[in-house]
Amino acid sequence: MATLLEVKELRTEFHTQDGVVHAVNGVSFTLDEGETLGLVGESGCGKSVSMLSVMRLIPMPPGKIVSGQVLFQGRDLLRVDDEEIRSVRGNKIAMVFQDPMTSLNPVLTINTQISEALELHQGMTKEQARKRSIELLQMVGIPEAERRVDDYPHQFSGGMRQRAMIAMALSCSPQLLIADEPTTALDVTIQAQIIDIVKRLKRELGMAVVWITHDLGVIAGIADRINVMYAGFIVESAHVKEIFANPLHPYTLGLLGSIPRLDAALKSKLTPIEGLPPDLIALPKGCPFYDRCHYRTERCENENPPLELGAVRHSVACWNWQDVRKLRKH
Amino acid sequence: MGTFILRRLLWLPVLLFFVSVITFALGLYGPGDPVQVMLGLHANPETVARIRQEYGLDEPFYVQYVNYVKNVLQGNFGYSLVRYRDQPVGRLIAEHLPVTVQLNLCAIVVGILIGVPLGLIAGLYRDRWIDLAVRAVVIASISLPIILLNPVLSFIFFREHIVFVPLLDRLVSIGPLLPQVAGRWEGVLSPKAILPVLIEATGVIAILTRQMRAGMIEVLSEDYIRTARAKGLRERVVIVRHAMRNALIPIVTLVGLMLGGLVAGSFLVESWFDVPGVGRIAYEALFARDYYVIMALTLLIALAYVLANLLVDLMYGFLDPRIRTMG
Repeated sequence: MATLLEVKELRTEFHTQDGVVHAVNGVSFTLDEGETLGLVGESGCGKSVSMLSVMRLIPMPPGKIVSGQVLFQGRDLLRVDDEEIRSVRGNKIAMVFQDPMTSLNPVLTINTQISEALELHQGMTKEQARKRSIELLQMVGIPEAERRVDDYPHQFSGGMRQRAMIAMALSCSPQLLIADEPTTALDVTIQAQIIDIVKRLKRELGMAVVWITHDLGVIAGIADRINVMYAGFIVESAHVKEIFANPLHPYTLGLLGSIPRLDAALKSKLTPIEGLPPDLIALPKGCPFYDRCHYRTERCENENPPLELGAVRHSVACWNWQDVRKLRKH
Repeated sequence: MGTFILRRLLWLPVLLFFVSVITFALGLYGPGDPVQVMLGLHANPETVARIRQEYGLDEPFYVQYVNYVKNVLQGNFGYSLVRYRDQPVGRLIAEHLPVTVQLNLCAIVVGILIGVPLGLIAGLYRDRWIDLAVRAVVIASISLPIILLNPVLSFIFFREHIVFVPLLDRLVSIGPLLPQVAGRWEGVLSPKAILPVLIEATGVIAILTRQMRAGMIEVLSEDYIRTARAKGLRERVVIVRHAMRNALIPIVTLVGLMLGGLVAGSFLVESWFDVPGVGRIAYEALFARDYYVIMALTLLIALAYVLANLLVDLMYGFLDPRIRTMG
């Protein structure tokens, strides 16, 4: 499959009163057309910021994309002019955000909010856009879409709002959908529905998806490949089955240990990852996971391991991944 | 909606009752006496007593109050006792009220036209030099007592200024920006009205600028602004359609409440500029203990604020769909 998006050495910083926050520290990955990539990590690890950087939606100031390339269909989005990035946003790359309660404008109808992208990118008239908005709402499973299209966001439930957000994002048939924790703010049953909708529409429309989450359980059912992020670095990247069956990074191992399993022995406890992620203002010079790692050696304290191939199509940023694999068996 | 308005209006007489009792009692039991003011300090006590009786001012409080209310319900607001002696208060106010309303309305309109764009710019360019300049001017104008505004603005507008223009490399004289006009009040659209309107608008400008700036800053950090940008909308559309509509909601509230003050004339501004408005009558009436004039003006202001509040609530429902469905 052809490459749709290639991110190279992306670095994003935030200049705050306390100092420079190094949110994304040289992230590189590629995404094929129609592929689903899971971006996993705990809060503040740079997963949202890296994807917002791709769309140049980082508030500047205080944010700043320091270096890197974002090649989308061959063009470097970090270097095109404002006009061109706007023609990509909402049109070729669309985004669904975490909190549907606050991500819709309270004073505009759902119709206005879906239609404006259609009028802008597809040159539709108001009537055409309205008709299409109704179809889109039907597509994401809003009952009585013809009537509900004129509602305001507060008249929708949380799940319905997220459906409306998805309808809005898909309105111009984007090649890439970035879903930034779209199910985090929802009930578990609604979560499952939203995941099903995205999976179905992805199949129908053939778009690529980057699904940002801190929940490995959610990602297992959707993603083709997973990038695990920690402190602004990608620490492990592999096919989803490979990640679950053969994790090589101690952090990934920790993440897997902290999800409940149906096949675990009764009364066995979840194993949390102890400690806290490093301060992004003062990153350690060695491995960022050093303080919390059970496999650490002297080398880890002084040298930050690069992301390198550990197995077939499986990269990991750890000096001791071979030990991790051996010791994990026991 | 209908019941909401009705319920609010049913409270009106209750409110007016309390306001009138308190004002009436303060006037009657407070220091000072209109008849004394009318006749002077050295008046013959017998004459004073006779005149008090003539006007019914010797009756007990409740009798006077009941008589007053009876008259008011028949459209008679009593007579001026002192300055506009024996003129009906209703006519007195009817003559002077339009001038004050026009002046205040102009001040509010000028305040909106200057304050909202200033606040918008300050909010959009937060912490840049233009924001700092706007904030400095706003703080200065809100802190400056109104009594100082007159000489300051007079200095700016009515004097000739010698300014050094670097571009021409010489001193240039500018102004006076406005001709100094003396004489009678010729309505709110005459040059003489510029300064009083500006002075009265200063407070409005300060309040609206601050609110608009704060509103824009708050709204621009909302998630739905990011959503709008993620759609690829132009920044102008993001600001006008998505941000400003939300930021203007509290502005409407403030302006609505200001409308309640339309009928209250400024004592100072109206006396300085010889504006024949209710502010001047109120000022004179207060010093002369001219009961019925004070009563009528107090009731009028209370009524205006109640109606303005009601208007604000109705406009809220119009502007904010979240409130519309609840009402």
